[in-house]
Amino acid sequence: MNVLTRGVKNTLRSPIRSGAIVLMFAISIALILSMLVARSSVLSKIDEVKATAGTSVTIRPAGVMGNMGGGDPLTAEQLSTIKSTDHISATTMTLSDQLSSDDTSLESSLEFGGFGQRQRESSSSSESSTQAGGAAMQMPTPGITVTGTTDVNSVSTDGSDLNITSGETIDTDSSDNVALIGSTLAEKNSLEVGDTFTAYDQTITIKGIYETDNRFQDSGIIMPLATLQSLTDQADVVSTVVATVDSSDNVSATVNSLKSSLGDDADITSEVQRAEESVSSLEGIASLALAGVIAAAIAGAAIVLLAMIMVVRERRREIGVMKAIGGTDGKVVGQFITEGLTLTVFGAVIGMVLGILVSGPMTTSLVSSQNTINTSQRGGMATRGDSTSNSSTQRPQGGPGGFEGGFQQLQTNATQVTASLTPDIIAIALGVTLVISLIGTAIPAWFTARVRPAEVLRTE
Amino acid sequence: MLEVKNVSKTFNTASGPVHALKDITFKVNTGEFVSIVGKSGSGKSTLLSILGALDTPTDGSITVDDTAIEKLSGHQQTKYRGKKIGFVFQQYNLIPNLTALENVVLALEFGGYPATSRVDRAVKLLESVGIEEDQQHRRPTRLSGGQQQRVSIARALANEPAFILADEPTGNLDSATGKKIFDLLHDLSRNQNTTIVVVTHDLDIAGKTDRTFTIVDGKITTK
Repeated sequence: MNVLTRGVKNTLRSPIRSGAIVLMFAISIALILSMLVARSSVLSKIDEVKATAGTSVTIRPAGVMGNMGGGDPLTAEQLSTIKSTDHISATTMTLSDQLSSDDTSLESSLEFGGFGQRQRESSSSSESSTQAGGAAMQMPTPGITVTGTTDVNSVSTDGSDLNITSGETIDTDSSDNVALIGSTLAEKNSLEVGDTFTAYDQTITIKGIYETDNRFQDSGIIMPLATLQSLTDQADVVSTVVATVDSSDNVSATVNSLKSSLGDDADITSEVQRAEESVSSLEGIASLALAGVIAAAIAGAAIVLLAMIMVVRERRREIGVMKAIGGTDGKVVGQFITEGLTLTVFGAVIGMVLGILVSGPMTTSLVSSQNTINTSQRGGMATRGDSTSNSSTQRPQGGPGGFEGGFQQLQTNATQVTASLTPDIIAIALGVTLVISLIGTAIPAWFTARVRPAEVLRTE
Repeated sequence: MLEVKNVSKTFNTASGPVHALKDITFKVNTGEFVSIVGKSGSGKSTLLSILGALDTPTDGSITVDDTAIEKLSGHQQTKYRGKKIGFVFQQYNLIPNLTALENVVLALEFGGYPATSRVDRAVKLLESVGIEEDQQHRRPTRLSGGQQQRVSIARALANEPAFILADEPTGNLDSATGKKIFDLLHDLSRNQNTTIVVVTHDLDIAGKTDRTFTIVDGKITTK
């Protein structure tokens, strides 16, 4: 029998106490492992969501969303400010306008339908009231959206290149009266590449026909920015600027810089900001998991430490006797360290197995509970939306589309967290266990080394 | 030979210095069986601790076979205790979760005895003090007080020590068992030429040893 076997044998001296220590330590190790898995999985998801968010920043006149809202277009001076902002590597500018049936020879391929009719009635109620008692109004058709842009691909809602099904793209740097028209609009008006139509009292030549998966998009017209500015008499102004930032790390700083320089005249949004909003709950989970790791580690260390201190205090006489009959500090301390390490090894093995089993469900539970809280909070905000209309977190009611739809996609993506146990996590968990074991045994060992046999035996 | 020369021990306490031992000098020859008697608090246990290299004297020297043990380092004193001194305690002080055999093997391990022959030697030692084979594998709690003290004596003899220090070895035993233990120590002294120093308050036992030192208020009064 040597130091190691004595140390191991001593752990069986009080099976119930040793079992309780091993169980408590195992639970703390399982918690550590589970929390590490949860944290790692959530952080991976955060990185993934942020990585897919892109580095673009969208600047619109304050109060504008698509063709709705109001406000003044962005001016040349504001555009200059945007372009000179640090970290902005490229800009895409667009100007949107609505062609009414009076302004063009084209017939819109859209119909108001029930939803559009309600909106129209709502927006024109005051006008209608002035005509009360008059003749019945002729039902108009929706306007045709015209987009002047410096990059035709920016019109695509999903970020992909515009699919030109016939003809060719337009030179967006030119100011020629040329256009791409959507396939639905082309079909409605029986137009082909090379045909012309009138708009703003000018003849426009169709250079190509494009098609997207969006009927609204396919009912529009795309022109060079300068052309639309000229046709609408809005020289040097735009309705939207999409700025590309040189790095995702600089997006937030760039947004802040733009907000500072443009003030209240522009609404500035970024996908990264949206992504950060969507992953904010995940960041909360990551923080919670880290706190869990720390708390479990402290609890584990305390369990081993207090248990071993109790063992050493109980066996002071035995330690004194061992030293009296020739047991060196190394051998006596070694025996107690072995005893402590035996308990922690058993606890660690059981804890690791337990942790592997529960880390997946625990991660899922953490994410789903956090999302439940968020959903509940979001529902509450929607209910009190009228009284908190200036809340930055309030979302307009109605179906998502475009940017908002992308945000929801980000949110959905952010909730799909898969727990994954990697060698790195196991290595970290083992490292934490080792540190706990060392702390839990080194301090009692120090107490053991300080026991003086003469003092212990004098108490006889 | 054990030689104690001008040994003093002073403890510094909150209420001032306490002189536990005062200029103690005596010699014990090899194979001699001596006893130290004295009232409680007279300094017997302090003297035993110093003789056993468990404590160091404030002044004076203790020489065992030309080795001044008070000059050894803490680690050297531990090794010295393991090889040269055997302890027998009033409360036996066996390690409770080790069997009788393992308790003796433990002392052999601490004394640096070769691992391959520790068990054989432990068995022989236990048999020599009257512990039968079936009792050798019992834990101390399953042995009587007399049997435990016999195991304690076997443990003390494990490394063929220069001398055995016994602190009230019969104090927890009935008179019949106490006599048997005393006879055992006596036999060791006579037959194995082992030097034995017994601290006791039992004057009957003290009277049967080769010499008796009486200690009063830290001073040896009778030799």
